[in-house]
Amino acid sequence: MKKAYDVIIIGGGVVGCAIAWFLSHFDLKILLLERELDVCCGVSKANTGILHSRSYLTPGTVKGELHQRALSWFPEIEKELDFHPTVTGALTVAFNQDDLNYLKSIKKIGKYDDAEILSPQESRILEPNLSDRIVATYYDPHAAVVSPFRLTLAFAEGAALNGVKFHFDRSVGGFDQQGKKIIVHTPNENYEASYVVNATGLSSVKIAQKSGDRVPDLSAFKGEYFLLDKESQGLVKKILYPIPNSVSKGILVSPTPEGNILAGPNFESSCADDTSTTPQGLNEVKAGAQKLVPQFPFNQTIQIFAGIRPTLPERDFLIFVSKKYPGLIHLCGIESPGLTASPGIAEYVGELLVQQGLSLKNKDQIIFRKAFPVFHDCDWEKREELIAQDPDWGQIVCRCEEVTIAEVKYALRMNPPARTMDGLKRRIRVTAGRCQGSFCQMHLPSIVMNLLNIGIQDLLKSDKNSNLFVGETKKVVNAHATPH
Amino acid sequence: MPHHIDCDVVVIGGGPAGMASALSAWNHGARKIFILERNDYLGGILNQCIHPGFGLQVFGEELTGPEYAARYIDQLAKTSIEVMTETTVLDLTPNKKITAVNPEGVWEFYSESVILSMGCREKTRGMIFIPGFRPAGIYTAGLAQYLVNVEGYLPGKKVVILGSGDIGLIMARRLTLEGVKVEAVVEVRPSLSGLIRNYVQCLLDFELPLLLSHTVTNIFGKERVEGVEISRVDQSWQPIPGTERLLNCDTLLLSVGLLPENEISRKAGVSLCHFSHGPFVDESFSTDLDGIYACGNVASVFDLVDYVTLVSQKAGQTAAEYRDKKPIKYQLNPGSGVGLVIPQRVRQVDNGWLFVRPDQSFRDGKVQFRTQGKVFDKKRVAVCRPSEMIRYDLKNIHWPEEGGEVIVEIIGNPIEGI
Ligand SMILES: Cc1cc2nc3c(=O)[nH]c(=O)nc-3n(C[C@H](O)[C@H](O)[C@H](O)COP(=O)(O)OP(=O)(O)OC[C@H]3O[C@@H](n4cnc5c(N)ncnc54)[C@H](O)[C@@H]3O)c2cc1C
Ligand SMILES: Cc1cc2nc3c(=O)[nH]c(=O)nc-3n(C[C@H](O)[C@H](O)[C@H](O)COP(=O)(O)OP(=O)(O)OC[C@H]3O[C@@H](n4cnc5c(N)ncnc54)[C@H](O)[C@@H]3O)c2cc1C
Repeated sequence: MKKAYDVIIIGGGVVGCAIAWFLSHFDLKILLLERELDVCCGVSKANTGILHSRSYLTPGTVKGELHQRALSWFPEIEKELDFHPTVTGALTVAFNQDDLNYLKSIKKIGKYDDAEILSPQESRILEPNLSDRIVATYYDPHAAVVSPFRLTLAFAEGAALNGVKFHFDRSVGGFDQQGKKIIVHTPNENYEASYVVNATGLSSVKIAQKSGDRVPDLSAFKGEYFLLDKESQGLVKKILYPIPNSVSKGILVSPTPEGNILAGPNFESSCADDTSTTPQGLNEVKAGAQKLVPQFPFNQTIQIFAGIRPTLPERDFLIFVSKKYPGLIHLCGIESPGLTASPGIAEYVGELLVQQGLSLKNKDQIIFRKAFPVFHDCDWEKREELIAQDPDWGQIVCRCEEVTIAEVKYALRMNPPARTMDGLKRRIRVTAGRCQGSFCQMHLPSIVMNLLNIGIQDLLKSDKNSNLFVGETKKVVNAHATPH
Repeated sequence: MPHHIDCDVVVIGGGPAGMASALSAWNHGARKIFILERNDYLGGILNQCIHPGFGLQVFGEELTGPEYAARYIDQLAKTSIEVMTETTVLDLTPNKKITAVNPEGVWEFYSESVILSMGCREKTRGMIFIPGFRPAGIYTAGLAQYLVNVEGYLPGKKVVILGSGDIGLIMARRLTLEGVKVEAVVEVRPSLSGLIRNYVQCLLDFELPLLLSHTVTNIFGKERVEGVEISRVDQSWQPIPGTERLLNCDTLLLSVGLLPENEISRKAGVSLCHFSHGPFVDESFSTDLDGIYACGNVASVFDLVDYVTLVSQKAGQTAAEYRDKKPIKYQLNPGSGVGLVIPQRVRQVDNGWLFVRPDQSFRDGKVQFRTQGKVFDKKRVAVCRPSEMIRYDLKNIHWPEEGGEVIVEIIGNPIEGI
């Protein structure tokens, strides 16, 4: 028997999870289907993590409209989801007169009273490591950074707390109409819903085309990054943007909310599943970062990675109702600033669903999500209190990020739960620090196997075939037991 | 309120360095001594080193890592040194307040002397910029050693090992014994990094190939490693285009270097040496902060545990005696051919050692000591390698009357090949 839902959301990226959270405010039966074993495994896992401020709006586009909506909504969302953005502010850096004109134009778009154009001296007081070849910067105090994992998981956890179901390992292959219902096909089982939202990131165009809708083909553009050790903390305190070029915001240097430094991304033609880093790409990022910060300490790199932008020729979001299935909504081309715009996108999708006949009835009560404590960020008093409540808080498993067993247990039991090493990393930062897991992975496998009651063959890094181990070592045999 | 403890000596880390320094402090009269160890066992890295080769210098016999550790664990049991396991030190201040946590709560130690012996960590893939995908199956060699030897998990069936240092060589043999196919050991240098003994016993005896002047230039496989691309490199270790070739494997082990683990030292404001990546130390292994000492791999990566023990005993003794120090007389820096020298500071030359790590392999070489441009001593070395520190008794070096900066350099014929 097929299970029937009011709304099925396909895709557990930041956008799908934001939609799930938004719709969970209403009296609806909602399911989210995700191909991978966790949320935040697609575009949302590898990006710059900036909540771009109003200065970066693109007026006259869908992107710009939804970006704007999201920005005015975030303070309220933060109260409900407790996802801690870090307001760092940003400097957009001009190296010549044309650049300076651009700064003046974004100042007009931003319309912030407290944003201003700074001289090189003023800029370098704020950011002493900035290049001395700059002619001016535009200082915007409102730009913020957020962990993309934390934001996505906050939406997902908030949605789950308010009744949304998550099914993982469900790759949607196509649809059927059955009366007024849409049947959603996956290799495992079929689902039935009145409304369906296709928020599948890099796959969304293909899925839209498969459902009979005409959408231009998607182009995939890769962006590569360097992530520095926390030792580099303070190298820059604000986001340093270059002047955008015709294709992207350019290679920037940014602090992360956890205290690392990020440089990237470049913009290179790629394909949807090629998340590999390349020597050329990395060199390009290097040059870009050094242009802003000549002394950029690449020798403090702890990780290199790449993300893929799902871009349409128009370079705008394309969010529309299917011609064939009146209850189906496609979200295509959700590239930057998709992370920032995600709640705006969610609200807009809600409006489209209402236009298509869905009725949104407010629930009597909404459960707010409270972030689980992060031992590393607690003061000593709080740490003592936590250990007194539960000794697991006094057991550190990850030395670099100071993550405790209590947090591992939480990550494995929260909803949606971590089921893989990367799932743990994205929730609580084990293996995300300077040793990149070479210490905590000594003990984590057995801890996780015990807590989940699984065997060695089920221990995965991220995907279904990403087994960490192939088996066990040889066993000692009693020599006397094998007589000749 | 945190638990509050006043004491004579706190040792951070219960590996061989921590154990030897605590015992030495005890033997030199200190009484209230604590060893704080994060794991639930003492011995540090030794527990995963189940191969023999430890203790030849200290005990005159060949022990395995766990056997070597056991000797010290037994000696500790005969003292009143307090060992706190499952206790992680999170903070150290310049005036020697240590804050640690364990399941019983938060602990504050106020100690006359603090000995840093936190060991080292392994360099990872990101630090050496290997491009490609990030699938499962990429391990640092030391982590793999722990998982295989202590936990009994097998990381893969077909491996490529990057780095011909001793850990890489030993893992090549260890995995072969487990029925794992070792496709190649790949080394970016033109010469072997590890000990010849390990090359013979771990690679030659098992007919495992060593590829010198090669490196891994790409990693394939989205979920699990499916292969790596290797390339020949030029003299500056840059891959030569056109020399790429694919090695099929499901695992890549990285044995590409160790780094002293000095987060805690940094919090206290101990100044760190750019070459050793550990604190600047003198011949008694005092750091530049009064009453704080550093020994073992936290000071500088020692390849032999026996050397770790020697220097740690020295640190323990000084920590127990805690007397006024003579001024620094010589400041030592590595010159050409030398990766690092330890100690970097010498106050008195009548007691102690100097360790010199070559930055490449040389034949028919000499180690030269220079000050103000003039060579004041030189010593012959037939063969030297980055994997083996050269050790001198300080008193056997003809130090000049006047103090100052001393450059230590190695001149010799670079070795290409094994
Ligand atoms: C290099 C780079 C930098 C960026 N920087 C920023 C930034 O600083 N600020 C900002 O606001 N935005 C930024 N973005 C944009 C932002 O990351 C994306 O817009 C956003 O993450 C898109 O989220 P999504 O949920 O649409 O896609 P995804 O995160 O890709 O989610 C789609 C999900 O659908 C699943 N899926 C796919 N096919 C199927 C199927 N058939 N069945 C079931 N599930 C399926 C996937 O597994 C995936 O989990 C950046 C993007 C890139 C690439
Ligand atoms: C993977 C690997 C393999 C090796 N193989 C060999 C070999 O075959 N032969 C050989 O002679 N040498 C080998 N060595 C060298 C070996 O490291 C040294 O011989 C010796 O173990 C170093 O001793 P140590 O006490 O300085 O460090 P470790 O043995 O690393 O001990 C450090 C201890 O400090 C603890 N610690 C660290 N930080 C904290 C904290 N904040 N709070 C509490 N406790 C803490 C750690 O848990 C650990 O137990 C190997 C080294 C490595 C890394």
